Amino acid sequence: MSQATKEAGLWTAVKELPGNFWSSIFRNPLPSSDLERASTSFTNFFLHIHPVKVHRNTLRPIYTLGLGLISFFLFLILMVTGILLMFYYVPSTTQAYDRMLDLRGSVAFGTFLRNMHRWSAHGMVAVVFLHMCRVFLTGAYKKPREFNWVLGVGLLLVTLFLSFTGYLLPWDQLAFWAITVGTSIAGYAPLVGQQIKFLLLGDATVGQEALLRFYVLHVAVLPATLMLLIGVHFWRIRKDGGLSRPEEPANLAVRVTAVPVEKAVEEKKRTYGLVGFVRGPFTKIGNIPDNSVYSWPNLLMAELFVFVLTVAAILTLSLLFHAPLEEPVNVMHPPNPAKAPWYFLGLQEMVSYSAFWGGIGIPTVFVLLLLLAPYLDRNPRGVGRWFARERLLANTIFITLVVVNVIFIVIGTFFRGPNWSFVSPW
Amino acid sequence: MPVAQRPRMTAAPSEQEDMPRRRLLSWFTSVGLFGSAVLSAFSNFVFIKPRATYGQPARFAIGKPEEFPPGTRISLDARRVCIVREGGKMAAISTTCTHLGCIVGVSDTGFACPCHGSRFDQDGNVTGGPAPKPLPWYKVSLKPNGDLEVDKGVEVMPGTYYNV
Repeated sequence: MSQATKEAGLWTAVKELPGNFWSSIFRNPLPSSDLERASTSFTNFFLHIHPVKVHRNTLRPIYTLGLGLISFFLFLILMVTGILLMFYYVPSTTQAYDRMLDLRGSVAFGTFLRNMHRWSAHGMVAVVFLHMCRVFLTGAYKKPREFNWVLGVGLLLVTLFLSFTGYLLPWDQLAFWAITVGTSIAGYAPLVGQQIKFLLLGDATVGQEALLRFYVLHVAVLPATLMLLIGVHFWRIRKDGGLSRPEEPANLAVRVTAVPVEKAVEEKKRTYGLVGFVRGPFTKIGNIPDNSVYSWPNLLMAELFVFVLTVAAILTLSLLFHAPLEEPVNVMHPPNPAKAPWYFLGLQEMVSYSAFWGGIGIPTVFVLLLLLAPYLDRNPRGVGRWFARERLLANTIFITLVVVNVIFIVIGTFFRGPNWSFVSPW
Repeated sequence: MPVAQRPRMTAAPSEQEDMPRRRLLSWFTSVGLFGSAVLSAFSNFVFIKPRATYGQPARFAIGKPEEFPPGTRISLDARRVCIVREGGKMAAISTTCTHLGCIVGVSDTGFACPCHGSRFDQDGNVTGGPAPKPLPWYKVSLKPNGDLEVDKGVEVMPGTYYNV
């Protein structure tokens, strides 16, 4: 008898195994009610980074433009393609360039992966910068989000260092002369400049040691730093009360008193309960109109949409355009003109006036201004709207700096010829 | 508005004696932990700073004086020097740009840098662009076997020639 029940028990267990296994992973069925929508978000490791509910304003595409998300997704693409490229890359001055040719010639999808990696990197520099512009022009760096802005400036710098260390690795002409120039700029830093230069190069001249060092920075040190910063950046979005948004209209209090008590109690019953130690009006008591929606599916779908769009854009670019690879290193002849990628051409143009001021002084002042912006500009008004009239001065200063930067990049890109002399592109 | 002050707790006698010791211990612990963190961070820098480097030798032979007839201006790009001979006088001028380290090319008027547009005259003096210093001159001497030797470890005053 016992055997029979055992067999039946085992058989039932096997029969119900897929279902039980599934429900042991996903403790929640696909949600059909608000309660289940909430628990979908907080019982799933990958989803619980989201709040259960987000403010409607968070989901307005024209407010965020999805730029932060796009940066993150580009970073994901960079991680995946970067790890794959590591299987074929050797950080050696004699082998690195040949490995690039191997990627092109004999590795399946080699060219395609390198294209994806390169275009995502360019895209990430651009999108991170645009994200910063969005945050500034909507006043989103104001209290209580000052420190997240500081983290964001750190993320921009790490992104730039990552792209710099990245384009050195093919060990082509661009790489060699970019290391030469880049580390020389570091050498102009006061007091510790020469030591920093020596630590970066690992030698008195640019060579094998420098390539190995930039490789380690590119594949380990900087990505780890970036991941840590991204983690804190995301965490703080929630702890600082979600994405910035305009102040709720002040006349709500009047409407609260105008509503019968019974109705208020009813509303309270409906939305109370998802208490979190999160700043911002997520917990509704009374009949304050609830402007938040459930993350599942509203936020998830928006994110999926941005993700698919980002991947599609990178795939398209990688099919259409090949990542540049210059001549193999010739330590005797810099290319003439020797130009950095577009995002550093503004810096190169500034450096061509003065190495210290263009390479160290002005960039340091610029970064300090960015870091201190939320602590200097404490005007609390105009948050959560593009180009708010109350922020005319701050926005004008910021846009001016951006335009000056763009002008330098345009000059460096189109108006500089051999020996960095002024040429007309027409 | 005056802030209401919290009533001071009167500590038990034993507690009063313990507090300075506890504070001292916690102070020692903090200093110890913080000091260890600083030391280990510093030791990382010691680790990644190479003690020995294997770069190019600073001194090298460039050949017999006869290989450089009067009027020569040859840029030895691998060595990053330009060998100049005027009559019986020889000199070695660096071709590493003093701005950001690119190799300057020999031009009609002296030297020109392809990276950021620095210009130098025949003697390496800055005539334009962002270079902050003139190109250094290196010591030239004759080895016992009759070869000329350039020593990039020793800079000489510009205009100092070696008489062949």
